Amino acid sequence: MSVKTRSEKPQNMRGGPLQGVRVVELTKVWAGPYAGKLLAFLGAEVIRVESEGALDVTRTYGVTDINNAPGFQAVNPQKLSVQIDMKTEEGVQLILDLVKKSDILIENLRPGAVRRLGLDYATVKAAKPDIIYTSMGMYGTEGPLSYQTGYAPCFAALGGLSALVGYAGGAPAGMNIRYADSTFGTIAAYASMVALLHRRRSGVGQFIDVSAVESMTSMIGDSVMDFSLNGVIRECDGNRHAEMAPHGVYPCRGGDWISVAVAADSAWRELAAIMGRPELATDAQYSTLAARKANEVELDRLVSTWTADRDVAELVVLLQRRGVAAAKSQNSVDLIADQQLWARDFFHAVTNSDGATRPVVGPGWTMSRSADISAGAPRLGEHNSYIFGDILGLTVAEQEQLAAAGITR
Amino acid sequence: MSALNGIQVLELAESVGGEYCGKLLADFGAAVIKIEKPGCGSPTRRLGPQATGERDGECSGLFAYLNTNKQSLAFDIATPVGAATLDKLLGRMDIVIDDHAVDWLNNVGIDLENIEQKHPALVLCSITAFGRTPPAERLYAEDLTVFHSSGWGYHTPSGEDSQPPLKGAGRFLTSYEAGLEAALCVVSALYERETSGLGRVIEVSKQEVLASRIDYVLGQMIAGDMDVGTARTQFDLAGPAGIFPCRDGYAYIWMSAPGHWDALRKLLGNPTWMDAFPERWLERECTPERVAECRRHVAAWLQTQNKHEVAAVAQKLGLTLVAVNNAKDLFESEQYQFRKFFAEVNHPVLGSALYPTVPYKLSETPAQLAAPAPLLGQHNDVLGQHLEMSRAHLVDAGERQ
Repeated sequence: MSVKTRSEKPQNMRGGPLQGVRVVELTKVWAGPYAGKLLAFLGAEVIRVESEGALDVTRTYGVTDINNAPGFQAVNPQKLSVQIDMKTEEGVQLILDLVKKSDILIENLRPGAVRRLGLDYATVKAAKPDIIYTSMGMYGTEGPLSYQTGYAPCFAALGGLSALVGYAGGAPAGMNIRYADSTFGTIAAYASMVALLHRRRSGVGQFIDVSAVESMTSMIGDSVMDFSLNGVIRECDGNRHAEMAPHGVYPCRGGDWISVAVAADSAWRELAAIMGRPELATDAQYSTLAARKANEVELDRLVSTWTADRDVAELVVLLQRRGVAAAKSQNSVDLIADQQLWARDFFHAVTNSDGATRPVVGPGWTMSRSADISAGAPRLGEHNSYIFGDILGLTVAEQEQLAAAGITR
Repeated sequence: MSALNGIQVLELAESVGGEYCGKLLADFGAAVIKIEKPGCGSPTRRLGPQATGERDGECSGLFAYLNTNKQSLAFDIATPVGAATLDKLLGRMDIVIDDHAVDWLNNVGIDLENIEQKHPALVLCSITAFGRTPPAERLYAEDLTVFHSSGWGYHTPSGEDSQPPLKGAGRFLTSYEAGLEAALCVVSALYERETSGLGRVIEVSKQEVLASRIDYVLGQMIAGDMDVGTARTQFDLAGPAGIFPCRDGYAYIWMSAPGHWDALRKLLGNPTWMDAFPERWLERECTPERVAECRRHVAAWLQTQNKHEVAAVAQKLGLTLVAVNNAKDLFESEQYQFRKFFAEVNHPVLGSALYPTVPYKLSETPAQLAAPAPLLGQHNDVLGQHLEMSRAHLVDAGERQ
């Protein structure tokens, strides 16, 4: 693993496509912070506005030290933290002052919260006319159901994903409970960047209203098209795939599982040969995709029987050597030991403000002239003096006054 | 006028990840030229859902969805003339999107080692399963195998360990996620290019995209703050959350806080079985026995309820209960209708139908489904002229076969 020394460069000079962009986050938990993290990983200076009185649950969940909360650290590397009490008039004014010096504001507070706080788009726009204001809500900011709230699995249920995940003929089992927030965050980050590019070309900012539920539907657009075009309501179907067979996850020795996906008849011939059953390749029951689909229960049984007492790693090598798409279904031990993820620096260490290093999960891309990612998540208020002093131009005395009044606690 | 008007995109991609990336750009007004093989076109034209129709390659609902607002230019880049044509095109493009296997770009004459010297302003994005230098045991991949290499597969669905791990929702979740990541990178690169004039080579690994989406868990695991193990439930949270059958389908309930428990009590009419539970059990005394007992009672009650009605009542009481929607529910959703999430698109072969639009509303530059997916080679005439490629040139490049 490469350990990157915490960069001496200011946060806004780390390179990458978004160097010089400043983002203010009024966010909670995972989805909003994930959007900010992606922008930070692309080089933006991302500032989380926090307050002792309204701490993000990921700072406190299961720990006593809010500056060493594992969940917070995982989702907020390379960001800045400033303490401002949003529930005070002076605090709101400070945030507006900060927004005047920023490019993007991202919020995922509860429905109506920014309006109650006096930080809604109209107010922010009056302070900073060309701001990109990205609002993230379960159902978006307006409409008959916009009052409703939920957590990630609710987004997946409402958006149509959960109904598609489960065993054939059974009740829906749903996606993994962790799915949805990060996807929602990525979608918000993309829309924000489109708007920022537009501003650079036109000078015009705008309001972006992102729906978590619709974000989910975007991940199954083709299934939805089946209803639109053919009136077909897709249901959960195990591991079935209309254009591949075998297509499944099969048991191996020692409780392991192997995923195998066969699209072309040529790959099926290879698989049949490896299984020691070359005659299956020409057997009328399996020789074509249509035939394999028609006899898929028996096909899956044949493959499962063959994989069941074999070693998963050996099987993967055997299948890959002959051009068959196959991979171990990786458990969490496999994941953190994935040699390729380490070799590619997907996992790499960052340095916290106390000098301790900590590995973080990288972005899904690599690019030329990429941004330096070397700092861990911020302590609460770690960047107060930089933000109040360098960005907002407050004197030390003014900062002390604000602190004494509890505005920047 | 939308945000990406005037941006020229060359889509070499021929599967869901790259085509979705191109769509995300095209729906904001980018001019996306899709290069297709004469005769057969993109392989996604042959993937379902297929609508009934006579014209082979023009009836795929998948293709129709993924390729709105694009133009199709059919010629064979594998011929010498085709390669020269491609090279000429590159000089006119802002963005190139590819999603083939790792050696494909090289084989069509695009060398990532020198592309930045040759075309300094070009943003080139390559989407692959495991990055551009996969180990031998990861050369061949499909969305299913990548999903299972990322950690999501083994832990899907939550709370299950007797039946096989699953593929996730639909066939292409892996590719949609990667296409989305690619679009974010491409637009960010364009943003910087506005001042520097410099392009960029971007590489998106589907496995890394999916693994990064679980950062909250995986980030704690690699740092040693969360237990790892071989359990299928390793990503799970304890508690009675889950999917329950209703009279007309299914509903999902999330409960983790005292407020949820209070709301449930009101919803159920203060049943006596709840009295046996400590008031703050969800947070402090969430034992498997209590979870099972709670689930049993909730399940029995929900079977007498309709999913949408019970959700509306529960939400007003402060309980996070929602319907498990299917595709029909989405089309009927008053919220989706309010936000106009589905928009009518008129396709010359498929006719008029409602398509999913995008999950974001931009006040100044909304995304639009202005044009249907192109027929194969539909824009050869107009693009040929525009790009100063003679008819003979395209014919030589195998335009018609």
